[in-house]
Amino acid sequence: MLVEEMQGDLLELYEKWTRRFGVTRAKFLYVLHALKFLRPYAFKSLSAKQNSQIMIKNYITFVFRRLMRNKTFSAINISGLVLGLACSLIIYLWVQDELRVDNFHSKGDQLYRVYVRRYFGDQINANYNSPALLPETLKEDFPEVENASGYAKVLRLSQQGDTYESFLLGDKAYKMRGSRAGKDFFSMFSYPLLAGTPSTALNEPNGIAISRKMAVLFFGSVENAFGSTLKFSSESMSRDVSVTAVFEDLPPSASDQFDYLANWEHWVENDDFKKYWGHFGTYTYVQLKPGTDPAQLEKKLIGYLDERLDIQKGSNVRVELGLQRFGDQYLYGNFENGRPTGGRIDYVNSMAIAAVVIMVIACVNFMNLSAAISLKRAREVGVRKVAGANRVTLIIQFMSETFILAAFAIVVSLIAAYIALPAFNLLTEKQITLPLRDLSFIGNVVLTLIVVGIVAGTYPALLLSTFRPVKALKGKVIFSSRTAGFGKSMVVFQFALSILLIIVTMVVGFQTAYIKNKDIGYNRESVIYIRLEGALIKNYKAFKREAMRLPGIAYVDRSSQTPHTMGLSGPFVNWEGKNPDHAVNFIPTSVGYDFVELFGLKVIEGRDFSDEFPADTTGFLVTESGVKEMGLDAPLGAVISVFEKKGPIIGIVNDFNAQSLHHSLTPIVMDFKESLNFGTILVRTKPGQTEEGINSLRKAYSIYNPGYAFSYSFLDDAFQRLYRSEQIISKLSSVFGSISIFISCLGLLGLAVYAAEQRTKEMGIRKVLGATTTQIFVLFSRGFVKLIFVAILIAVPLAWVASDAWLQRFAYRIDLAWWIFALGGAFALLLALVTIGSTAVRTGARNPVETLRTE
Amino acid sequence: MRKTQLGEFEEIVLLIVATLGDNAYGVSINEAIELQTGRDLSISAIHATLHRLQKKGYVKSYMGGASAERGGRRKRFFIITPLGSRVLHAIRELREQLWNQVPNGLLHSKTT
Repeated sequence: MLVEEMQGDLLELYEKWTRRFGVTRAKFLYVLHALKFLRPYAFKSLSAKQNSQIMIKNYITFVFRRLMRNKTFSAINISGLVLGLACSLIIYLWVQDELRVDNFHSKGDQLYRVYVRRYFGDQINANYNSPALLPETLKEDFPEVENASGYAKVLRLSQQGDTYESFLLGDKAYKMRGSRAGKDFFSMFSYPLLAGTPSTALNEPNGIAISRKMAVLFFGSVENAFGSTLKFSSESMSRDVSVTAVFEDLPPSASDQFDYLANWEHWVENDDFKKYWGHFGTYTYVQLKPGTDPAQLEKKLIGYLDERLDIQKGSNVRVELGLQRFGDQYLYGNFENGRPTGGRIDYVNSMAIAAVVIMVIACVNFMNLSAAISLKRAREVGVRKVAGANRVTLIIQFMSETFILAAFAIVVSLIAAYIALPAFNLLTEKQITLPLRDLSFIGNVVLTLIVVGIVAGTYPALLLSTFRPVKALKGKVIFSSRTAGFGKSMVVFQFALSILLIIVTMVVGFQTAYIKNKDIGYNRESVIYIRLEGALIKNYKAFKREAMRLPGIAYVDRSSQTPHTMGLSGPFVNWEGKNPDHAVNFIPTSVGYDFVELFGLKVIEGRDFSDEFPADTTGFLVTESGVKEMGLDAPLGAVISVFEKKGPIIGIVNDFNAQSLHHSLTPIVMDFKESLNFGTILVRTKPGQTEEGINSLRKAYSIYNPGYAFSYSFLDDAFQRLYRSEQIISKLSSVFGSISIFISCLGLLGLAVYAAEQRTKEMGIRKVLGATTTQIFVLFSRGFVKLIFVAILIAVPLAWVASDAWLQRFAYRIDLAWWIFALGGAFALLLALVTIGSTAVRTGARNPVETLRTE
Repeated sequence: MRKTQLGEFEEIVLLIVATLGDNAYGVSINEAIELQTGRDLSISAIHATLHRLQKKGYVKSYMGGASAERGGRRKRFFIITPLGSRVLHAIRELREQLWNQVPNGLLHSKTT
């Protein structure tokens, strides 16, 4: 085609010629001159190079015109993809956040956490509790160890959970969270210091390192805090400490949060118990010299503890030390066969898999719907082909359309994720934000776009481009049975994954509910606990007497171990006729006269501790299972010994779970002791008078324990917190499970709408021949129901395996009853029927006159 | 200075483009040449030359607005570029230089 301006010039000349020479001559000249234009420069370029911009513009126009034409369909298609992408994106961010925990230290590759592996005959167990003497001797004895630091998360094993201690300055009294750490601590870990130096931060016996938050709280600023003194009250001790360092508030990605660290050496020095090698109650962190192989060092450490513990060679008891990379401690905190195996990483992995599954479902959906709707585009394809488009051009066109849609969906899903993140953070107790300035994140988003574009776009593009123009123009394109089969298998695949997610979600939900509501043998409602410390240790009896008289309080008693999570257990009990080869673990705790009443335990045989029998101070209460384990003929009155104490069993109480239900039931032995200088004070408030009870308690506390901040916890809350990760997982899986089934339903809906359109005439003819609306409904639904059944058959075994594996981490678990699976399947089936229902009904109810008159 | 590559006809077309100012397009250039030199040229020859000049960078072009004339086809207007102007100047200087060097009386007079 001649370019525009030359055509114009020719026309202008033609008019001139007409005026001058007449029409005939002008026509001749026109043709002559036009022929003279047969030169290459005068024609529009035919290569695509020059107008690719126009082409892409045309694609975009086409995409949006098409979207607007099928509003419902487009909405279904895009919202499915957006939902899927947003979910996957949020899970991806969560996984990233989990992986970052404890992995931000600059010397991370050299930092190791020591764990202790014990062999008792054929039993092996392991945990992080190590002797307080270990860090220093490790550093002295092994040149590979560059730095080592002890760390006390809890001051005593019987006091599980975070440690809170009181600080006092003038009229400011606060309980802060913290612990003890060795002098190398700040040289090893990357906690930036705002004042002080890493080597001097924890060097002074009366020095303390505090966080910026705590410095501001007490002194107003970091500068004022550094070098100042404040009063530090810990258990029975109260002393002045000076601030030797101020560190930046810990990032949320530190698994262990603290606001102060007190001097470790001073703490060990003042407790004879901690200077004894058999005391396993603190953590040990080491920093190895660069290039040290931890496995080699572990080998060198074999026998190190046996020697110090005086364990004879050849005895069936052995104690070994293991090294775990510090960055792994958060995700791999469970031990199996004496080695760290898994833990939280299992959740992280399952969520990552869920993210991929949801993304795959969303992509499949998108692909299916695009393929279904492509039938409507048969004419377009036909026209394009006739106009000269070849297969490659068409594939490029459809792929670019998919990419345009995918890019749109990704942008929308980023916005959706941005909106959903605050709620998600609330649910998971995280502080995740969209890292929009992070280049690797942007890179991943672009990568996702490419993957989604290719996965979702290839099939429709290949399918559409194969249409034969003649047939396509006649509007007679029907998918071959093979392509229809592909669409169906995609639906089966989607539903199988969704049913899997539904069933697993139900199992997690049931198990979590089971744990929360299981009868654990004691009554944890309206019980408050406070720490036994300071003047309360010697004032305890007076405090108890006073508090019991105050309104709202039913009972006051004590326990040396935190009642819902007793950390100390072991083969501490001896009795006559005990089999020396069979170790029975007991949880020992010391209680007062009212413990059994307060805790709601039942005395099955014998009696409770009572002040009417002075000899009870040497007696023991044992739980039912403990008595059974001992195998005594006449347990009541039998003399047993626990640690150094010896006395008769005066009563048998019902079993109760003093640890989280991940652990199996351990027998408990209780003795009477009101003089210990540590422990927990338990208070039961009268029903409906919690507030009054707490106010009474606060009053009594300020009288009997001046200088300590009053803080309390509800036993029930603390109990629920033991299952925090399960609760989070339960909530997350129900959210993501619902979204995945929703997306799958969208896909099914799309397919149903498409099928209805395809079979319009068939149904019309059936109706004319006398089929009822119901019959057509059944006929139409049957095909889809079959698909769902296949999906159920595939999903159930997988769901069984996955649920069973998850339940193994609980000592107390629900049965995997058949009805859970049936319910999951029925739920999916019901949803599927509801989804296709309206389409099926509409198909059945259509007037055949309308459907058949087109031909 | 870069070697000027300008044929005789190209030089005339370029000068005409410069003369016509903002009204230089195919037909107007054609008419101006006819008027000035008496040569009757085909329009395609003009376009071919303009195309060549544009490729060499001596003129640039832009599309004019559409009008009811010429069957609604737009005109392509040409204007001389600074490079084009420089080339014309260079040619003229060279000619003058050569003219000045011809000794008096050796050149036959205009009328012979």
